[in-house]
Amino acid sequence: MAGETYWESFQKRGMSRREFIKFSTMMAGLMGLAPSFIPKLIHAMETKEKVPVIWLHGLECTCCSESLIRSGSPLASDLVLNMISLEIDDTLQASAGEPMLEHKREIMEKYHGRYILAVEGNPPLNEDGMFCIVGGKSFLEELKEAAKGAAAVIAWGSCASNGCVQAAKPNPTHAVPIHKVITDKPIIKVPGCPPIPEVMTGVILHVVQFGEIPPLDRKGRPKMFYGQRIHDTCYRRPFFNAGQFVETPDDDAAKKGWCLYKIGCRGPTTYNSCGNLRWYGGISYPIQSGAPCIGCAADGFWDNGPFHNRLVNIPLPGVETTADKVGLIAGAAAIGGLAAHAIGSAIRNTMASRETNGNNQEEKTK
Amino acid sequence: MSVSEKRTFLKIYLFQPGLRIWHWVQFLCIVVLFVTGLYIGDPFFTGSGSGEPTVVYPHILSMDLVRTIHFSAGYVLLVAFLYRIFLFFTKKAHRALMAPKHLWMLKDVILTYVFIKKSYPPVIRNPLARLAYIFIFALIVFQIWTGFAMYGMSNPNGATATVVSQWTLALFGNEFTLHVWHRIVAWLFFLFLIFHVYLVFYNAFLFKEGELASMASGNRWVPLHRIPVDAEDALECKIEDVLGDAGCDRRG
Repeated sequence: MAGETYWESFQKRGMSRREFIKFSTMMAGLMGLAPSFIPKLIHAMETKEKVPVIWLHGLECTCCSESLIRSGSPLASDLVLNMISLEIDDTLQASAGEPMLEHKREIMEKYHGRYILAVEGNPPLNEDGMFCIVGGKSFLEELKEAAKGAAAVIAWGSCASNGCVQAAKPNPTHAVPIHKVITDKPIIKVPGCPPIPEVMTGVILHVVQFGEIPPLDRKGRPKMFYGQRIHDTCYRRPFFNAGQFVETPDDDAAKKGWCLYKIGCRGPTTYNSCGNLRWYGGISYPIQSGAPCIGCAADGFWDNGPFHNRLVNIPLPGVETTADKVGLIAGAAAIGGLAAHAIGSAIRNTMASRETNGNNQEEKTK
Repeated sequence: MSVSEKRTFLKIYLFQPGLRIWHWVQFLCIVVLFVTGLYIGDPFFTGSGSGEPTVVYPHILSMDLVRTIHFSAGYVLLVAFLYRIFLFFTKKAHRALMAPKHLWMLKDVILTYVFIKKSYPPVIRNPLARLAYIFIFALIVFQIWTGFAMYGMSNPNGATATVVSQWTLALFGNEFTLHVWHRIVAWLFFLFLIFHVYLVFYNAFLFKEGELASMASGNRWVPLHRIPVDAEDALECKIEDVLGDAGCDRRG
């Protein structure tokens, strides 16, 4: 329920003060906070009301929700039932249709300026947003309306943060990341397709328990989760430094677990916590399972194909080719052309000198 | 013109030692950067050792070593470029390529190169070369800039990242695109090298004025009947003074 503090909800459930302190300490640990922050966190949990969250879905595939419900620490059920007051979420809630829309209106009115707006997916702008309609209204309209009263906005996944697949070229629906539409609210971008479950819960925890958005980098991503390249936290990095690369996904080197850089790993340009947090309670992550990172947390990653190549197609109209191929062909063409030019010049000079010699001889005979 | 009458060539001291050293340092840097850069972007040979990386690492030409060479050469290129900017302010000859006065001859030069015209007026700095060098300087600035932007991101909270990388990444949209552009522009240096070397040899053979040797000796030998129309761009005084005995830049 919104309107009660965490301490109150603990008391209601008949849990002891000791359990409350233990829980708070665990939360501090999950968020990666120093021990000196624990008292502050406990104070916040005693005084801060549970934050109502409105979770909207635009153009998306629900992989963010799928990811969230697999969070191991804290459990997604803990998050949804104990830590926040998730008022609206089309995917998780039981109600539907008009009652749900009515409830949304109520919440938006009652907690105006206090609720967190979590957006999964993004709005298409073409045809006045008619490519995505929710409850008879375009998602664009719904999003703008919900953003008006939000204290802060969380952009879930690459869709909301940087456009993802629906904004990839040629982007027929003109889908845009939500920061193009919501310009007057603080936005926390949590890119990834999907983001790591623990990153999602960690971001929510930080927001609801401190009542403020986590420190963000220049791109608006939480520094604590997106501050490092996957490349720099990758356990296969020593193979990269030593120059030991997998050539094809099924070769001997792949079985030995060498670096996947040559088969297109985007780890060196992707910022995420895959290397240190890993996925689903640290079981694995794409690179560990032998697949090169496709850079799903990076801007415009769909447009930098093919994924399994380091040298990607360059923006030349009409052809699919790499910079190296074009460079070599242009170089060969230049050398050929200049060789022809050298021969032409030699012929011209010979002719010119014959002409001068002829003139000289003519002058002599005169 | 008593002295000049004995000679058939006028020696023009075009490139000071500093400029010549800069030219060859930059040449080496660009070659090293190009080759190592090709490797870094797409490692065309992989480690011969099949053991643990810690064992293999010191014994082979590792990625780490290639990258270190690339980054070091990048720093040298940066310093060399800053030195070139310093040189720009020291001598008139070092500003010659920026003088727009003789760009009108560009058409003549190009038409001569494609065999339409017979010849163009004698020049000390070919207008096509002037344009090409401005272009190549722009490319060097681009490579230094994008290179350090990528380099800075090895520590996203560091000073280089703050000063160069962050806004550059915002400009390019994403980091991978930046890598792609860095490689595309690298190939332009390869093309420039082909044309540059060819045209230097071409001019050396065609006019026999010491074009090829000038980046070693610093001198150009100009026949007196072909005094360059832009000679004053490279001289500290009037051409009449050079030809007369009051010469300022004439040495021997």
